[in-house]
Amino acid sequence: MQYCGDFRTTYEKDVKIFQTPFVKICMGFLGVALVALPFLVKGEYLWISMQIVIAVIGAVGLNILTGFTGQISLGQGAFLGVGAYTSAYITAKMGLPFWVGVPAAGCVTALAGMIFGIPSLRLKGLYLAIATLASQFILEWIFLRWEPVTGGSYGIVVPRPSIGGFVFDTDRSYYYVVLVIAAAMVLFATNLMRTRTGRAFMAVRDHYISAEIMGINLFKYRILSFAVSSFYAGVAGALYGHSLRYVSSEQFNIGVSIVYLAMIIIGGLGSIIGSIFGAVFMILLPQLLTVVTTQLGSSFPGIAEVAIALEQGIFGAIIIMFLIFEPDGLAHRWKMIKAYWKLYPFSY
Amino acid sequence: MKKTMKIAAMVAGLAMVLSGVAFSAGTIKVGHLADLTGPTGDVGKPYAEGVQAYKEYVNAHGGINGKTIDMQMFDYAYNKDKAINQYKKYKEDKVVAIEGWGTGDTEALTGFVSADKVPYISASYSAHLTDPKKAPYNFFCAADYTTALRAGLKYLKDNWKEKRAPKIVFIYPNVPYGISPIKGGKEYAKELGFEVLSDENVDLKAIEANSQMLSVKNKNADFGWIGGTTNSTAVILKDAKKLGLKTKFFSNIWGIDESTPKLAAGAEEGALVMAGSVRYGDKVPGMKLLMSVEKKPQVTHYIRGWVSMMVLVEALKRADKATGGKITGPAVKAALETFRDFDTGGLTPAKITFTSTDHRPFMAVNIMEFQKGKLVLKKTMVLPRKAEWLGL
Repeated sequence: MQYCGDFRTTYEKDVKIFQTPFVKICMGFLGVALVALPFLVKGEYLWISMQIVIAVIGAVGLNILTGFTGQISLGQGAFLGVGAYTSAYITAKMGLPFWVGVPAAGCVTALAGMIFGIPSLRLKGLYLAIATLASQFILEWIFLRWEPVTGGSYGIVVPRPSIGGFVFDTDRSYYYVVLVIAAAMVLFATNLMRTRTGRAFMAVRDHYISAEIMGINLFKYRILSFAVSSFYAGVAGALYGHSLRYVSSEQFNIGVSIVYLAMIIIGGLGSIIGSIFGAVFMILLPQLLTVVTTQLGSSFPGIAEVAIALEQGIFGAIIIMFLIFEPDGLAHRWKMIKAYWKLYPFSY
Repeated sequence: MKKTMKIAAMVAGLAMVLSGVAFSAGTIKVGHLADLTGPTGDVGKPYAEGVQAYKEYVNAHGGINGKTIDMQMFDYAYNKDKAINQYKKYKEDKVVAIEGWGTGDTEALTGFVSADKVPYISASYSAHLTDPKKAPYNFFCAADYTTALRAGLKYLKDNWKEKRAPKIVFIYPNVPYGISPIKGGKEYAKELGFEVLSDENVDLKAIEANSQMLSVKNKNADFGWIGGTTNSTAVILKDAKKLGLKTKFFSNIWGIDESTPKLAAGAEEGALVMAGSVRYGDKVPGMKLLMSVEKKPQVTHYIRGWVSMMVLVEALKRADKATGGKITGPAVKAALETFRDFDTGGLTPAKITFTSTDHRPFMAVNIMEFQKGKLVLKKTMVLPRKAEWLGL
């Protein structure tokens, strides 16, 4: 959307990430708020904040694949697992530092993603969804059965990162590690979408035959999209494993894949900021519901058990409502709100 | 910014006040994670009630050297994220120990409890939790899954009269809980002279197991290990009966309980379970107190919950004495590791011993058999405490 007085005379200006000085100021405030957060909240809430930041990385990754390139993936949960196990193996079993483990986790997961992305050349839509679902089950089976590497049913205890003598032992210090990595990766994704590669992704999504006629190598860009997306998943999985200090096979099941898919659908397909909104929404909503149901349960003891059971149902209902009333996701709603205030009071 | 600073200052101030009162007022804070409404709620609820009942009893009868135990139960509905969030809350409250529940919460918290030094007593009896090198702050009060399986194998072999080697099949779900005892169990089975047949997988949510049971029938298995939960075990027993199998089944601690006759409708006759306690109403010294507190008959899970709190209370008492009233997580761990033949009043198959290098409470299992819809104690099987079995 463009407004009066907002002239763009070059292409560079048109694709700028932060269009106006006001946006820059807002982003500055957001940055300060994120940095100050660990001093304002603690315990449970700090942990949830950290999980949101980690989920943002995974959601942005999935959005690159599904939202920008149009390839549905039901294997995000397993790819998170590949990352978590890779970093766990490198740090806990080989004794190398976290700073090697996390990039390696990204690379190994990217490789896994490229292998499981091969069917995307021939399969589209629901068929690809089923093919990636297979990757979910194959990888889960490997996590459980490849005992020398994954620890089998016992899992692996992993350390928190350290630099020199300083160990990022507390949730507060580790939050900053996660935040810096997440910020860098979100920025990279935003920039990627402004490059030739990003535009190729979107061309493949919008009409693959046209894209091919324009000279875009479909196979290359589909596989590349799987690789980039899986790299994000791998890093997110590794960060999750180190945050929990423990990696086991049951943490990366099909449910996780579906939650991630829900994040980007609710947040907004093909939108980086939408992935962020989606991650925040999907992690905060169950917490909010828990608070509400616990309150209800304590004030009306008779319905305590029902209230907890209802939680899942309400969660599902809210998601359905969202899809009906905001099919383009939270990112679209955000745009509408921005436009409203920009044009206020003379919206026309 | 000024406002932010103000809020920050207020939060910090509040935090200091809260942490200050944690130890005063004569209470000891303990966490309790339970599943009342989740997928394991049917067994989780009696277990949790057993834990709480013993706490209530202790608080009403002098507490921990005069201090009351502040232990609020939290229903995490077998959702590991909820368990972690609640754990973070408990940590802020500076609990000195936590009574936990199943595989879900225990596995998710293993890394945290050892880093934060909070003893965690659970009902997840996975063998790797008994090795203090891997899980220094995890404890439980029954034989681990592998030890229970070994005890069952020994019992079956001791009662085997024929000349040929007995054939055994392992039936379990493809999840960590099902898989964990299989490797150690198979090794021991071969050592005892069993012929080990190829495995069968029956999912925890299975509603039929016809193909698996047909395969067991074709393999002519004499014995079948069932490593599932009550529902899947009942499904296996029913389909085995329907197909006319002669196989004798023995199940792990969570596979068969007092609810089985209702689920299996008679197919449970002759099936064995490796129980970790006595039954309600059994003639042992510790049962008198339990029955005076809880008048209604309860399942064995309730008794194990009761015992696990009994153990924690004893540890808190010892830690309180040792630290002069300033209980900490490490002090409770150290106290637990002073347990030498701690008598539960006969509620467990054996007396409890924990050392700093071995968290196996005991090596004994109460082997019970279903006879006419009733669980009957066949034998208390005691195995040697072999060092090479630790954690496997």
